[in-house]
Amino acid sequence: MVANIERRYSAAAIALHWLTAALIVVNLALGLSMVPLAISPRKLHWYLWHKSIGATVFALTGIRLGWRAIRPPPPPVAMPAWQQRAAAMSHAAFYALMFAIPLSGWLYSSATGVQVVYLGVVPLPNLVPRDRALGDALRIVHVTLNSLMFALVCLHVAAALKHHFGDRDDALARMLPMLPLRRTRKEGSNR
Amino acid sequence: MIARRWSGCALLVCSLLFPASPAIAAGVVVGRSEIAFTITAMGAKFDGRFRKWNADVVLDPASPAKSRAQVDIDLASVDFASPDSEAEARGPLWFDTAKFPVARFSSTSVESRGGGRYDVIGRLSLKGVTRDCVVPITVTRASNGERIAEGSFALRRLDFRVGEGEWADTGTVAGDVVVRIRMVLAPQA
Repeated sequence: MVANIERRYSAAAIALHWLTAALIVVNLALGLSMVPLAISPRKLHWYLWHKSIGATVFALTGIRLGWRAIRPPPPPVAMPAWQQRAAAMSHAAFYALMFAIPLSGWLYSSATGVQVVYLGVVPLPNLVPRDRALGDALRIVHVTLNSLMFALVCLHVAAALKHHFGDRDDALARMLPMLPLRRTRKEGSNR
Repeated sequence: MIARRWSGCALLVCSLLFPASPAIAAGVVVGRSEIAFTITAMGAKFDGRFRKWNADVVLDPASPAKSRAQVDIDLASVDFASPDSEAEARGPLWFDTAKFPVARFSSTSVESRGGGRYDVIGRLSLKGVTRDCVVPITVTRASNGERIAEGSFALRRLDFRVGEGEWADTGTVAGDVVVRIRMVLAPQA
């Protein structure tokens, strides 16, 4: 039982992971669907939600990194060294994007002269003065970073499924408590 | 046909009112002056301004009675969040620039409030509606002899039918629009 707890991520890390995952997927979909809308009160509401969700992801990512320092993740499951390196790099890229994407959106909004108000209640300061050319550039940055995020999410999900169904290891189970942990022969003999 | 005649008229009016790129319009240094506005939508401020306008401003501290201000704004020149929102602002629900291309403020009197502060009292015509309007300004003098008149006032957009239909709800876009004016007045000859 004790071994099981140590092999999984902590409950807080698991909760933060899935909450962030849900918010990112919802916000990607919201972002893609709100842009083509004709200007209307509905469009303004969707933008408000998009920005509020983005700001939430930014804040949650700060909390996650703090928690990660206090409670480091469990050691990686057994896998080839290149896969461990790839996993570490993709996790680092996730953290970078989870800060950079909301920040680029906030900068973009500021450059178009539109203030971000968290949940329509807490006004955030404009980061840059209104500037059409800067806004156009920041829109491209925001969209590009999101394309990278979309690709990274696909890779992340594919890798998790590959580990779970292909390698039949605990890479997914340690982040998904509803799945039982498997005791591989190697790990079983170690413990 | 009527619509075409109208837009032809609008074009003529615009080209008369807003010559290509006036460096100075009756003492106003247009390049460094600004007519800007801020709308509030669901708590968020959206800043915009007008790219083309013309102003005839005479501010005589010695005799406010001789002072006057007339400002014509080319509403289609609105510079706002995005090209889409500019198109929406020009559309029939907001400025309806096809029918009402120009907003005009004409002062009827200027009253001194002391300390470089003045009330510019006049009439504002916007989207076919004309109403009394008071623009409080503060005039400061720069070291190069220029005078800078700055002021702002809250414009109740629904008084002028600006933002109709689905936009009339002030819960989405607030009823008060803050209009900010900054006029740099060239030194008097």
